Amino acid sequence: MDMKRDYYEDIQLFQSGVVLFWTVVLLLVLFTLPLVVPNYYVYLFNIIMVHIILAVGLNILVGSTGQISLGHAGFFAIGAYGTVLMMTLFQLPFILAILIAAFIAAFFGFILGLPALRLEGPYLAIVSLGFGLTIMHVIGGVDAFGGRMGIKVPPLDLGIKQLGISWILTTDFHKYYLILIMTIIMVVGARNILKTRVGRSFVAIRDSDIAAEVIGVNLTIYKTLAFAVSAFYAGIAGGLFGFVLGFFDPFTFNMILSIIFLVMVVVGGLGTILGGIMGATLITYLQYDLLKNIAEVPYFGALMVAVSKQWFTLVGLENFSSMAIGLIMIGIIIFEPLGMFGLWIRMKKYWMTWPF
Amino acid sequence: MMFKKKMLVSVIAVWAVLCIAQAAPAAPPAGFDDNEIRIGQWGPQTGPAAPWGSVARGSKLLFDIVNEEGGINGRKIKYFIRDDMYNPAQTVGVVKELVERQGVFAFVGGVGAACGMAVKDYLAANKIPWVGPSAADQDFIQPLNPYLFAVYPLYRDEANVLAQYIVEKLNMKKVGMLYQNDAYGKDGLEGAKERLATYKMSLVAEIPVEPTEKDLASQILRLKNSGAEAVLMFVNPTAAVIALKTAANVGFKPQWISSNTLSDYPLMFKISGGLWEGVITGAFGEIPDSTHPLMVKYREAAKRLNPQERWGTFYSAGILFADPLVEALKKAGRNLSTEAVMKALNSIKDYQTIGPKINWTEKQHQGTDSVMIQKCGPNASYIQLQGWTTNDLATWKKK
Repeated sequence: MDMKRDYYEDIQLFQSGVVLFWTVVLLLVLFTLPLVVPNYYVYLFNIIMVHIILAVGLNILVGSTGQISLGHAGFFAIGAYGTVLMMTLFQLPFILAILIAAFIAAFFGFILGLPALRLEGPYLAIVSLGFGLTIMHVIGGVDAFGGRMGIKVPPLDLGIKQLGISWILTTDFHKYYLILIMTIIMVVGARNILKTRVGRSFVAIRDSDIAAEVIGVNLTIYKTLAFAVSAFYAGIAGGLFGFVLGFFDPFTFNMILSIIFLVMVVVGGLGTILGGIMGATLITYLQYDLLKNIAEVPYFGALMVAVSKQWFTLVGLENFSSMAIGLIMIGIIIFEPLGMFGLWIRMKKYWMTWPF
Repeated sequence: MMFKKKMLVSVIAVWAVLCIAQAAPAAPPAGFDDNEIRIGQWGPQTGPAAPWGSVARGSKLLFDIVNEEGGINGRKIKYFIRDDMYNPAQTVGVVKELVERQGVFAFVGGVGAACGMAVKDYLAANKIPWVGPSAADQDFIQPLNPYLFAVYPLYRDEANVLAQYIVEKLNMKKVGMLYQNDAYGKDGLEGAKERLATYKMSLVAEIPVEPTEKDLASQILRLKNSGAEAVLMFVNPTAAVIALKTAANVGFKPQWISSNTLSDYPLMFKISGGLWEGVITGAFGEIPDSTHPLMVKYREAAKRLNPQERWGTFYSAGILFADPLVEALKKAGRNLSTEAVMKALNSIKDYQTIGPKINWTEKQHQGTDSVMIQKCGPNASYIQLQGWTTNDLATWKKK
């Protein structure tokens, strides 16, 4: 079914008419969605899409290249702060600002990639963890960055001030389209990276870096490149995230956020684009919506409240949120190491032969 | 191929119909109906700031009491607590969810200056009153935000009152200060300097502390060498405990005086290993074992309605932040509207329950400049040193 006869068939964006059809349907749904759902969900979708960009980028690093990062909140912060500061201090237009911020993040990604040449596994995790925390505290200590009190985000102006063109997006509804288009570009970009020589080098490094080196993959270049690309994605996501929020402080980008990002990738499925998308969607939805309002869910909510009253402490119900995400993570690792992507593949296989 | 085209067309058609059917702009649901008024609060129930989560639960106690007594003008209060983990990104999410999905009439409390900053413009744009943020921030009141009503005394005013107490009541001339290097600490520093200037005095040491610093040896030595008799602290709980322990090690024993953010004595006593005894703090509410009739009433109610909860300053703070809103809702009458409640809030004058006297006008939404002064006694008991004290130097009042 997934037989490829030549390279060009492999790199085709749409493998078949069916894929094209459903992609068009999906895009139609995505573009009309904010028209039909209440405004609150538009905000949620914005956050989800920002997290999708980040998770897809993180997946290039963790899933495809086999390097670990517990410091992605740091790149996320660089993107957010970079974009806002470029716009307020240098009056740059938004698109330019977010690109520069993302390249700054990519540069830091390159820096973090250097120790990764010598370190792996838990050691690399610790280095990247330290990196994320350092970024948070350095930003907090610099008054020009708003210090610990945070900074207010300027209006999201897509125009160019110097030319007198102004196109300000104010509502979640308008921002949705900007973020949606960015997300599509980034996701298609990630897919293309993984289908090229660069992507194959990443996968070769993941499977065995010694073997990769033997067949001619330059480890120095490709390992640091993986970090840089991943950080670039985080930077773009961070730049958009700032405008979704409207205000942020350094503590927004704490260590827990880095861990949640990693959870998204693992739950979604390591090493696949779709995995990153599904993981980011599920975890963000759970964290921001379902688990927050669990007491109001019909039937199950009442049950949880009763259980919490009987056995948990005062804040048992709130802590259930972290427990649930932890349980999902454990469950995925034990029962479905490919993550949600694995479930998706199984479903696809099942339906392909249905009903025979 | 034919089949696919048909599919495509039909899917688009169905979707278009759905769009048209629901495209009517969905205004946020109203915050009340004939039977209930919906009120929300965000607060960290989990995460690093979880100890302050009791504020949100304290407000719940007040609303439960109000509901037990028959509600407000025939309406019960439906109260939502949302855990934002002290993270502005999540605060924005939970606030939007409450406003746009549940339909919330007003917000009370809300821990965290950054969390509040992230949502204050959104609340104002949606015309939702927000009463008693449990954080003091100049940006909340200046410039005037018509929908935000502050109860919490400003740190600047509090430092002023504390400095006055040190000089006039404790008769100490050498005052040092340990302040957190952010708006909280710097506001306190300003206030202390302002007050000391009226006595032609200045601080003998002004030592900044980074919120994440874990070693304060050099700072404490500088304080010791300055010969400070009293040290004013505007820092976070961890830094305060480290400061006290370091000072004990080097044999430095000044009178420690701290802002009200550290007025939860049982907690501070426990994490400082008993060193907290003798520390003087500002306070935004009556002492927990006060005989004030309202405190007795709330204490009894808490035992009955929420026996698991520890009766402490932050829990009762949740009550006093929410009190003025209940009062305004009562005044607004059965014919409820945001305008009526706003009018009632703007005309609250000398309203006092278990906190300071609150005054709001159309032009001034900082409710008070008063703090109490309390001292930690043996076994984390509360000793009241001085009742409500206003800051006659408060700059915001002159305008």
